Amino acid sequence: QEAAKYEKKVMVLDFVTPTPLGNSWGLGGTCVNVGCIPKKLMHQAALLGQALQDSRKFGWQFTEEVKHNWMTMTEAVQNYIGSLNWGYRVALREKKVTYENAYGEFVGPHTVKATNKRGVEKLYTAERFLIATGERPRYLGIPGDKEYCISSDDLFSLPYCPGKTLVVGASYVALECAGFLAGVGLDVTVMVRSILLRGFDQDMANKIGEYMEGHGVNFIREFVPIKVEQIEEGTPGRLKVTAKSTKENQIIEGEYNTVLLAIGRDACTRKIGLDKVGVMINEKTGKVPVNDEEQTNVPYIYAIGDILQDKLELTPVAIQAGRLLVQRLYGGATRKCDYVNVPTTVFTPLEYGACGYSEESAVEKFGEENIEVYHSHFWPLEWTVPSRDNNKCYAKIICNIQDNERVIGFHVLGPNAGEVTQGFAAAIKCGITKEQLDDTIGIHPVCAEV
Amino acid sequence: MGWEEKQVRGYPEFVQTAQRYRGRPIFALFCGDKDAEGRSWCPDCVTAEPVVRMELHNMPDESVFIYCLVGDRAYWKDPNNEFRKNLKLTGVPTLLKYGTPQKLVEEECFKAELVRMLFTED
Repeated sequence: QEAAKYEKKVMVLDFVTPTPLGNSWGLGGTCVNVGCIPKKLMHQAALLGQALQDSRKFGWQFTEEVKHNWMTMTEAVQNYIGSLNWGYRVALREKKVTYENAYGEFVGPHTVKATNKRGVEKLYTAERFLIATGERPRYLGIPGDKEYCISSDDLFSLPYCPGKTLVVGASYVALECAGFLAGVGLDVTVMVRSILLRGFDQDMANKIGEYMEGHGVNFIREFVPIKVEQIEEGTPGRLKVTAKSTKENQIIEGEYNTVLLAIGRDACTRKIGLDKVGVMINEKTGKVPVNDEEQTNVPYIYAIGDILQDKLELTPVAIQAGRLLVQRLYGGATRKCDYVNVPTTVFTPLEYGACGYSEESAVEKFGEENIEVYHSHFWPLEWTVPSRDNNKCYAKIICNIQDNERVIGFHVLGPNAGEVTQGFAAAIKCGITKEQLDDTIGIHPVCAEV
Repeated sequence: MGWEEKQVRGYPEFVQTAQRYRGRPIFALFCGDKDAEGRSWCPDCVTAEPVVRMELHNMPDESVFIYCLVGDRAYWKDPNNEFRKNLKLTGVPTLLKYGTPQKLVEEECFKAELVRMLFTED
């Protein structure tokens, strides 16, 4: 859309290769269809469930037992997503961007072949190309994985309640899904190979795990599944999972209605003909290395989003990178995308917001003696009356002593962490120091005042 | 078989007609009432109607096109009228594909390209 503003002739090729179970979706990419949007809505469904419980302590009286209907939630979420898909179609059309629901792949210099779902092929040439093909969930490579397991690609439109679920993985996807599934009343177990939330501040990761364990999510640690078999067909059916310990020779078995794989995502770069135009990718990870102007090794081909090597896999980052790229190419701008100090939030039952360095990376980069960590537990006022935990919410900032105690890392664990973190991210971008933070009077009574 | 048009007025008649053709693609255009000379109180509806009619031949076979007059201006302005409450309409004219989130509102209905996209999308 940005390029069309500069009167360029633009085409978008978007195609979703169906999941092993046949699932597909509309225009908008992962975030809209099988990522952030449905995830946050379902997280909200779980939070509302908790709120209903708390409400009794605040005086609301209702005698009926409150139950959750998976189909009602899923239909409402899918309907909203459908309106977004449609909105994008209208927006592209209004801005005169040509859209084709077809699978694009390079066949030669400046040329792509687009194949639609009926197998009809068309060739297109262009002056420049932007690759933003994103990633898809990885499968385990064990017997029964593709036939019986689902991934996040299937979960948000699952036409039946998943029932007793085993989530394999300890990524934020795994923990967020496990969190809201448990929040809507399902029996959930998370099978973890080693650590939780690799790449995130481990102190915070462990607190998240502890909280979830104390609130109805079972964890099986240091095991990996080696086989998934079907005991009974159905919606949901019954599956038997066999798992092996990563430490000793122990084998365990468990029965679940649904097995959700969330062990990682792989870049969609291997089947789009990049070799035909000489675009280099990291053979091991499939990611695309680019310079700081999002250009690949082939000058007329650019890339943004989750497929980039060593960059954050976040929707707003990709959007920003894309917009700035086009402004540089056609608008004479020079601003490059700033990948530093990007705030993020993990929407686990106890939300975690962060911006900047984790404690470990700060220690690694600056040395333990040069950083100071300020931290505090806090008890949200809203949690007091319903007697919810008084020692679980937590915040910490990491400061660089050598640089006026500049705040280089911000971490908060508590309700509305995303909302809280956004403001602090702006402050960190401006280079806020501990002293300035201390000088900022807090809003009371809110969690953010800590 | 091609497509057919049904003209209705008011919410109950609309719902009844939509139910009757359940299973077939249903497109609906909602406009303000017309006076004795056939002019609607809604100027945008006057602009949109011919544009929509020109594109009707793009609807899939078996489609039903429901042309629905919603009522007079006072009825429409009432924030609690049934069209707003139940169908979540926010303005007239609205052209929508019944049972899906796909719709075009107000000036969007003036654009033949968008109307064609609504009729031919799946």
